[in-house]
Amino acid sequence: MSDWRMPLTDIKVPEQDVEAVLDCLRSGWLTMGPRTQAFEAALAEFVGTPHAVAVSSGTAALHLACLAAGIGEGDEVIVPALTFVASASAARYVGAQPVLCDVLGPHDFNIDVQDVERRITPRTRAVVAVHFCGYPAQALALRELCDRHNLILIEDCAQAIGAVVDENGRQVGTVGELGAFSFFSKKQLCVGEGGMVSSADPELAGKVRQLRSHAMTSGTWDRHRGHDPAYDIVDIGFNFRLDEPRAALGLSRLPRLQQDIAQRRALVRAYRERLAGTPGIEVPWSDLAVERSSHFAFPVLLPDREARDRFRDDLKQAGVQSTWYPALHTFTDYRHLTPQGGLPGAEQASWRHCALPLSSSMQESDVDLVVEVVRNAVAQLA
Amino acid sequence: MAIAESAPELPLFDLRLEPQDFEAVAQTLRSGWLTLGPRTAEFEQAFAEHLGARHAIAVSSCTAALHLSYLAAGVGPGDEVIVPAFTFAATATAAIYCGATPVFAEISSREQPMLDPEDVAAKITARTKAVCVVHYAGYAAAVDRLKELCDAHQIALIEDVAHAPSASHQGRKLGTWGLAGAFSFFSNKVLSVGEGGLVCTDDDEVAAFVRSRRSQAMTSGTWDRHSGRTDTYDVVALGYNYRLDEPRSALLLSRLQRLESEIERRRELTYRYRELLSQVPGIIVPFEDSQVPESCCYVIPIMLAQDGRQSEVSAGLRERGIQTSIFYPSIHKFTAYRERFPDISLPVTELASRTELTLPFYPHMSNADQDRVARALTEVIGT
Repeated sequence: MSDWRMPLTDIKVPEQDVEAVLDCLRSGWLTMGPRTQAFEAALAEFVGTPHAVAVSSGTAALHLACLAAGIGEGDEVIVPALTFVASASAARYVGAQPVLCDVLGPHDFNIDVQDVERRITPRTRAVVAVHFCGYPAQALALRELCDRHNLILIEDCAQAIGAVVDENGRQVGTVGELGAFSFFSKKQLCVGEGGMVSSADPELAGKVRQLRSHAMTSGTWDRHRGHDPAYDIVDIGFNFRLDEPRAALGLSRLPRLQQDIAQRRALVRAYRERLAGTPGIEVPWSDLAVERSSHFAFPVLLPDREARDRFRDDLKQAGVQSTWYPALHTFTDYRHLTPQGGLPGAEQASWRHCALPLSSSMQESDVDLVVEVVRNAVAQLA
Repeated sequence: MAIAESAPELPLFDLRLEPQDFEAVAQTLRSGWLTLGPRTAEFEQAFAEHLGARHAIAVSSCTAALHLSYLAAGVGPGDEVIVPAFTFAATATAAIYCGATPVFAEISSREQPMLDPEDVAAKITARTKAVCVVHYAGYAAAVDRLKELCDAHQIALIEDVAHAPSASHQGRKLGTWGLAGAFSFFSNKVLSVGEGGLVCTDDDEVAAFVRSRRSQAMTSGTWDRHSGRTDTYDVVALGYNYRLDEPRSALLLSRLQRLESEIERRRELTYRYRELLSQVPGIIVPFEDSQVPESCCYVIPIMLAQDGRQSEVSAGLRERGIQTSIFYPSIHKFTAYRERFPDISLPVTELASRTELTLPFYPHMSNADQDRVARALTEVIGT
């Protein structure tokens, strides 16, 4: 399908997953029902959260998290500038204002807790902690900060399912009032389009559950199972439902997730070992962070933007796909949110990084191939 | 009273997929490419051709399709969108997403339970930005008259075609009369996939707008980057994740090949059902036989002649293993709407909502099962 010698991500769907989806299709029941319930229960157990609510995407998860948290007109939501745009769109969907804060910098792309504190105003209602590239942000420090200022903490776990925040293995999505996950096709756990909201608070989870399906007091499945056909609509909700084939796919893939993450980590360790000491290339994050990350992406750092762009061209020539994440305030629609003094950490991290191929289906020999291409490309830069 | 936690013998709908559908989904899954890509593009093209529309843009649901259609029509804060209240809530809710106010107009009658152009005309104000017509149960509403009316007032006509893929009016497919048509591929629909929807339009700007906003208003997608077409992207507006994914597009594309033959079967069954139901005392069977050839015959709605018996008749049928549904409770009577838009009175709509029951119906329904429904209805209504 692609001409890439080494694509950025390569999804393998083994026959047992195909069979799970076909089983569901054969059943003829495609809308939210028993498979979605089973997927939610399995996700809750995996993450270690009391409530998991499956939704249509990570964007929908963030949107519903903001609504459930009561964020609305006039509120400010602090969002790191280096993230996928949905982290900030969610605040705008509910009428709130995203306030961009900086990230730590090229050595750690995650949200800078001190900068968050500087940007708190009387209108601040919430902080979105993005666990970028799978590496956990300083969730516990943010929890303490949010508690001190009476703010809601929403964890954007779209890239980080299975990452842990402490030495006890506490997972991302269990520290904030709400956590938003993505099952988009490039993610560690992918179903195509899909997402999930986690929460320990039954009221917040109930609100998310209600709003994902038009705030209807009963669903198609309930009515199929003999509930009265009458229902009420008690709020302005959405159609952010997942359907059964996607739940079946997720449910089939979930038991392999921990193993897939371990493979991703092994590949990242291999990358880091092989790249250590290569002149002109640095790697962000510490060895400890690598142990706690669930490894959505593997970024490396080049000296500057110009070198990064040339480096990426060379990789492309050699058939190795790469990507990079623009900082939000460089987008046309977000430029006006650039604070005084800019966001130097996000800018540096964004301009300098390049994410290399990483999938659980890769082998160490693939890493060797990429590393060779990388070494040649950096040598060209010198 | 309810026979709790058991599936009915005769369900409202019963979806059966074919081996070629399974194969299409299996192939897509095995390809490993799951997000918006070549299969979605292929489905969009096939569906556009089927409708005779210039553009078809697949989205995550009909709710999403309505939201993007309204936004594309320029609906925003302070605007009004005229909608029927005898429809699924999303028709109105999508206007609220845009910051606009839904203004509810009456349906013509219980026999023709669709938007009354005269009441629409009476409800047009300086703030009206769009009218959304719902082709209820798969039958064409007075879309020609509404189009004239909207053109005369320079307001957008949006078609909610959730019920009516491949249905037509005067030889022109529904969804292609207005500025945009919003389709549903929800699991109980004529062309179903689980969750899914689509916007069709002949307007290049509307198409580009919908395409942009369905994927975060990013100037390129994952597939573009994978296929080497572009390297990075800009975000130019507030967009959404309203994408469909490839397995669902593959399923739709496979099922689209059989759409016409399934609708033909639905029409045959509808004629027979209508004949049987005409013998049941105490009910109104909406629409005329003459409307069936242009309809895609999504569901079989009936109206109980007598007010106040809906819940009892529904329960009586349920006891006999027959599932029914209410298509639809009046939107303005829901708690969320009463709170926001109090004191709305739509007597014809309200009577329809209080007396409507939707009967089991699917392309493989047997004559015996149809007979059973008609018999049970006669029994329950007679008691």
